[in-house]
Amino acid sequence: MDERDLRLRGLTYGLFVELGRAPRADEVAGAAGTGRDEVLAGWRRLHDVHALVLDGSGTELRMANPFSAVPTPHRVHADGRSWHANCAWDAFGICAALGTDGRIETSCPDCGDALAIDVRDGRPDAEGLVFHCLVPAARWWDDIVFT
Amino acid sequence: MNLFRSEEHVERWLAGREPGATIPLTQLVMLAFAWWSDRLAPGWRPHTRERNQAILDEVGLTGSFWSLP
Repeated sequence: MDERDLRLRGLTYGLFVELGRAPRADEVAGAAGTGRDEVLAGWRRLHDVHALVLDGSGTELRMANPFSAVPTPHRVHADGRSWHANCAWDAFGICAALGTDGRIETSCPDCGDALAIDVRDGRPDAEGLVFHCLVPAARWWDDIVFT
Repeated sequence: MNLFRSEEHVERWLAGREPGATIPLTQLVMLAFAWWSDRLAPGWRPHTRERNQAILDEVGLTGSFWSLP
């Protein structure tokens, strides 16, 4: 990953945080002072090294891990804004990436009960909950959306 | 990768499927902070496989299930 792609990645992530949603390629191009096609080509290179994930069309973001570009059952509220996370792990990762406290809202896939966890100074306020990872680490990127 | 009320809820949700790994919420949060805390840093660089494996090891996630490719 060269410096040009690192800058594109940083700009993309910065807009994701600022907007509370995934930026479109034209929005990133406008902020970078470049063309949409150049952004799409850069996003493709970043996708290929797992630095972000494009959707099936290759023209929109699907993930800028830990942020999700599409609605999910994992919602994170922090600093007066909110984002969707790709999974429960990523939900806490958003607080970690932002360096801030936050509130995670999700639900138990078994019973459907709502779960809300406040994170303060890197620690959760809930006890007794468990996290289940279905896919072994060696296969996470075989299908990252399923993982 | 989901949160559940308890291990009993995981077992019921699996409905006979092969289980993965279940860990306490506190361990997950430790992992998340170790794994993601630099993601928005201006000088971010991709983690190497070795670094990510070390993070898993440091929070106690060892064994073949947690072995990165």
